[in-house]
Parts: sequence; structure tokens; C-alpha cells
Amino acid sequence: MSLLTYANPQRFLRFLHYALIPVLVIGALTSAVGLYAAFAFAPADYQQGETVRIMYIHVPAAWLSMACYGLMALSSIGTLVWRHPLADVSARAMVPIGACFTIICLVTGSLWGRPMWGTWWVWDARLTSVLVLFLIYCGILALWNAFEDPARAGRAAAVMTLVGAINLPIVKFSVDWWNTLHQPASVFRMGGPTIDKSMLWPLFLVAIGMTIFMIGLHLAGMRNEILQRRLRTMRLMAASGGDHG
Amino acid sequence: MVDDPHFGYIFAAFLVAGLVVLGLSLSIWFDYRRVTRDLITLEQAGTRRRSDGDRG
Repeated sequence: MSLLTYANPQRFLRFLHYALIPVLVIGALTSAVGLYAAFAFAPADYQQGETVRIMYIHVPAAWLSMACYGLMALSSIGTLVWRHPLADVSARAMVPIGACFTIICLVTGSLWGRPMWGTWWVWDARLTSVLVLFLIYCGILALWNAFEDPARAGRAAAVMTLVGAINLPIVKFSVDWWNTLHQPASVFRMGGPTIDKSMLWPLFLVAIGMTIFMIGLHLAGMRNEILQRRLRTMRLMAASGGDHG
Repeated sequence: MVDDPHFGYIFAAFLVAGLVVLGLSLSIWFDYRRVTRDLITLEQAGTRRRSDGDRG
């Protein structure tokens, strides 16, 4: 049985019936274990002290805010190039999830910045580009809701998503291209991570758990979107009186 | 850690993250319940999709 088997929405819903809860539970448990390790085993930072604990929620949220957008961009290619039946369903379901992780990233970053930098916010390249990412999510969500027909909305949102994808490398490399108050990359960088292993493994554990949980939420959102479209079709049929009874 | 002068910031960060994830999860769950309830109402009223009819 190949992955393409699940391209059919009906088969996909049957697959979700069994897979969704285990995925969410595994994601939640892995995140919980990672957060426990972050508080119980990871040391305080020699400069930041206990405030470094915010990293264990801020950094995975930042990664996921970009990963969600990357998946949306891939789904948008699937919508525009292959007109895959689940591609725009996937893109639509990902928008609120990506927006939520981006707002977590912004708020926790601000709460981390106040005691460490002495300010809630600065208009430096990293912070501003992440704020732009959040605004793009909001714009795409508004675009989805502006159309009555989900197929038309999907194509318009796909184009906007692909245009907005230019912001992803700007977010990633902003700390290298410009002088920023935000620190440069310390995990995914040439030469390896600069964070000590005792802090790195709980961080990865939380990130893996949150990623699995995000996949679970995405699958649940896709299920809702498929059922929502089914509901729309049935309402149209009921209104027109066709295929009734 | 509770004695840390920045404990309030740490607590607030985790509280906000937890509330946002909980809110997102609940909104997806309530959306699912609403859609399935509306689908059942329509099916009980006799509305069927063509593909449902093909499967018998």
C-alpha cells in the first residue's frame, strides 16, 4: 500500500480514524518528557540563569512556525501544479496552526527579551521578519475566508503562499545578513551547535514532541476541512433539491 | 527556581504557549463536533451525496 492510496479523501478519513489519537498522544507525551528534562536535568545558563528555560518553548515554536509555512508552500505547489485533492485541504488546515506557533514564538521571545535585552521589542531584522510571517499567515487566512468556493480560495491562497515563501530565507538568514539584537543561529549552523549537549537534547526532545503534536493537529484540521467541504456539497444539493432522498 | 527574579517571565511564557496550544486544540475539536453534527442532521433529513448513493 503506497502513500498515494491515501490521496483519496475517503481512505484518508479511514486512516485518520485509527492514526489521529496515537499521533496526538505520542506528541503530547514526548513534549511533556522533553519539558520535564528541560527543567529537571538541563542546567541554568551561566549568563542568563533560569531565564534560559524559555528557550525550550520559544525555539521549537520558531522552528515550527517556519516548518508549517514550508509545508503550506509544498501543499500550494501540489494545488497549482498537480491539483491534488488533498493539497489545498492540507494548506488550509495548516494556516491557523502555523499562525499559532508564530504567535507563541513572538510572545515568548518578547517575554525572554524583556529581562535579557531590557526591552519587549526591537525592530531588528529577525523580529520584524517573524512578525511579517505572522501577518502573512493572517492574510492567507483572510483570503481563504474571502471566497465562497474552496477551490477558488485554494488557488488564490496557493499563489499568495508561494509569494510569501520568500520571507522564509529572510527569517532564517536575517541574523547573518543584518546586525541584529537577536543572537545568530546557535543550533542549525555551519560548524555545529554552540549550545552544550546538556541543553541540546531536552531542546530536541521538546521540538520532536511538538512537531509530532503539530502533525496530529494538522491531520485533525484536514479531517475537519474534508468534512466541511462534504457539508457544503450536501447543503448545495439540499438547496437545489437534486439527489435528495 | 520560584525564587528567581525572572520567574514571572518564565511562567508567563509557558502559560501563554500552553493556552495557545490548548485553544487551538479545542477549536479544532469543537469544529469537528460542529461539522459532524451538521452532517448527521442533513443525512437524517434525507440528503445524500452521489458518491454515497453509488456505494449503496
